[in-house]
Amino acid sequence: MRVVGSRAASVSFVAIVVLMSGCDKADDQIKVYRIAKAPLDSTSPADADAAMPTNAASPAFPAGVAPTGATGAKTPPNWELQPPSQMRQASFLVKGENGSAADISLVVLGTAAGNVLENVNRWLSQLGQPAVNAEKLADTVQHLSTPRGDVVVVDLAGVPENGDATKDGRIIAAMAPEEGKTAFFKMRGNPALVGAQKEVFLKWVSSLRRAPDTSNAVDSSASRPDSGHAQIEFDVPEGWASAPPSAMRYASFTAVGGSGEKADVSIVTFPGDGGSDADNINRWRQQIGLPAADAAALNSMVVPIKSRDTGFFVVDMTGANSRVLAAWARRDGRTWFFKLTGPSSVVEKEKPKFVKFLQSVRF
Amino acid sequence: MLRKFVDLITSLKLTIVCLAAAMALIFAGTIAQVHLGIHEAQQRYFQSLFVWWPPDGRGFKIPIFPGGHLIGAVLLINLIAAHAKRFHWAWRKLGIHLTHAGLIIMLAGGLFTDLFAVESHMRLSQGDTKNYTEDPRLMELAVIDTTGPEFDQVTAIPEALLRRKRTIKLGSLPFQIVVRNFFQNSRLRMLSEATNGAQPIANQGPGAQIAVESVPRATGVDDRDVIAAAIEIVPIDFATGATAPSLGIWLVSDALGAPQTFSCAGRTWQLVMQSARYYKPFSVTLQKFAHDRYAGTEIPKNFSSRITLIDPERAVNRDVLIYMNHPLRYRGETFYQAGFQKDDQASILQVVHNPSFIAPYVACVIVAAGLLVQFGYHLVGFSRRRRTALA
Repeated sequence: MRVVGSRAASVSFVAIVVLMSGCDKADDQIKVYRIAKAPLDSTSPADADAAMPTNAASPAFPAGVAPTGATGAKTPPNWELQPPSQMRQASFLVKGENGSAADISLVVLGTAAGNVLENVNRWLSQLGQPAVNAEKLADTVQHLSTPRGDVVVVDLAGVPENGDATKDGRIIAAMAPEEGKTAFFKMRGNPALVGAQKEVFLKWVSSLRRAPDTSNAVDSSASRPDSGHAQIEFDVPEGWASAPPSAMRYASFTAVGGSGEKADVSIVTFPGDGGSDADNINRWRQQIGLPAADAAALNSMVVPIKSRDTGFFVVDMTGANSRVLAAWARRDGRTWFFKLTGPSSVVEKEKPKFVKFLQSVRF
Repeated sequence: MLRKFVDLITSLKLTIVCLAAAMALIFAGTIAQVHLGIHEAQQRYFQSLFVWWPPDGRGFKIPIFPGGHLIGAVLLINLIAAHAKRFHWAWRKLGIHLTHAGLIIMLAGGLFTDLFAVESHMRLSQGDTKNYTEDPRLMELAVIDTTGPEFDQVTAIPEALLRRKRTIKLGSLPFQIVVRNFFQNSRLRMLSEATNGAQPIANQGPGAQIAVESVPRATGVDDRDVIAAAIEIVPIDFATGATAPSLGIWLVSDALGAPQTFSCAGRTWQLVMQSARYYKPFSVTLQKFAHDRYAGTEIPKNFSSRITLIDPERAVNRDVLIYMNHPLRYRGETFYQAGFQKDDQASILQVVHNPSFIAPYVACVIVAAGLLVQFGYHLVGFSRRRRTALA
């Protein structure tokens, strides 16, 4: 018993010493992070338009819903695109006669979006109207069949106290639940104008499709060899030989090292944003046998480089057997990826050429 | 050898020595606040393993007394080790075991709070929205790449690194930062107002017109140091890793209001010395700050902030009223109503992230339960014996 007690005492001592040595307040850690330039949304739920139980300060669009430009829907010409807000996926203003106006928005919320009754009652309260019960709700809602499934539509009227009748008095809202999220389409404004725009609004709701999930996309996806009609020009460094083209690549080159080892240079382009930087870098890390890194670590790896008419972001990562230098630029709605991959010694030798090559790119 | 060591760490003498050392430390630390100020004294005496003494004019320091962390840790080890060594399970000892366990949790909780708790402030004017808090006693040099249309990339270098390091090289920056001068506390004056032919320490930006004078550290409760540094920006060639000619030397200080801008590697950068920031995945908007007084007097009755909490990840958008003794607890952070600006137009919330905040509550309940069991057991035994004696 005595021996056991002594052992336990020694173990507790060691455990606390180890714990103490691992403790460190990160007061001298360098932090690298990105912050959105757009102002933070400050809409209170008590405010009239605060309808939704959340906003979206996150810069990323929720999976499953496309950003405005990628929704594939034609926006009516008289809808004026509004500056992006962090809460809204899309925002428009439509103007009518005598200063009347209506505000149109698309907001996507998580599971806490609430049920149809809660949302309808919230909209009713915004219009200064009494709440309805589940029975009455059945008379209020309509169902619209769209490519994204069944969408619940309500058309509510009423002017709140001190409301401006030229800009308020009617709400047409559509709710489309999908994969744990709910897309809210809402038009609120002058009753006559909202009525006139109802058909166009519902067409817009019907025509919006879900965005493809691009989180794992980019150059590993064999289904997107599209380079469109986009063209770029560049100066091929001396010593690089053109490699046979492939369906995926815009251009390929091979660089040969001193010992005959080869490094591969590729240019790939995709429409859209080409997936998040973090996903792409982590995929490249995986390709050379490195573990995934967190966002802060990834941000600290990215180095900006200026070419003749655009800016690239570049990462340089070395795995056990190979090294990759990857650069990307987003330009005119497309993303361009430039990669140099190969044995570390060859990549090291070719790095200055690769940087010059990037700097020579002309869009 | 092991036996001697175990005897030492489990001895009651060690407990007494630690308690005596703690008393001496508290006394010395309290007196030291006169010259060092409360925060510096706290750091040197209580939040350290040793209290160090730097002999005048020497470049080294000597540990002269165990610091708060060391005493606390030894006491904790002593308590756990002694308990582990003498542990013998019996129902009649349940009270003692519980009381010891409570004390261990309390000591460990105190240590963890000291090591891991982060205190910061959120100052909000009416209508302001922020998604970060600030530590007014800790500064950082923010190097911001403002080129992107949607995002700024911020590289935040804490003051401790500026103080210690001569050259700072980071993967996220196409240049290296060379710290030419560092002032823990300073007074900045326009060159035209400075005396004795003072020279600027920078040659770029407004710093080229400013003289910096080193002053003793701030010691008052509400005073704080004005940190200043002269930093040189030296571009690095990404391809070769070679350094290019310097872009110049900038003066950075929180006493200079606006960020300073320069260009490097085709991108636009800003330099600003600011309070250390802790970004949150949610934002807080101050809707209204209220400073209620008793009718007909200026005596404060209540301070409260009505805020809107918006968290896109958790689909939260709600109004919350924060007032005295009614903090907001959210995502491991506690927001207390801490202060306000004199004109009542801004509210100051103290934001505390303390992963072990529950420890003292749990410890008190366990200690109380242990004492109740222990005394209850003796009381019952005593009354039984008394009854038997009377019979």
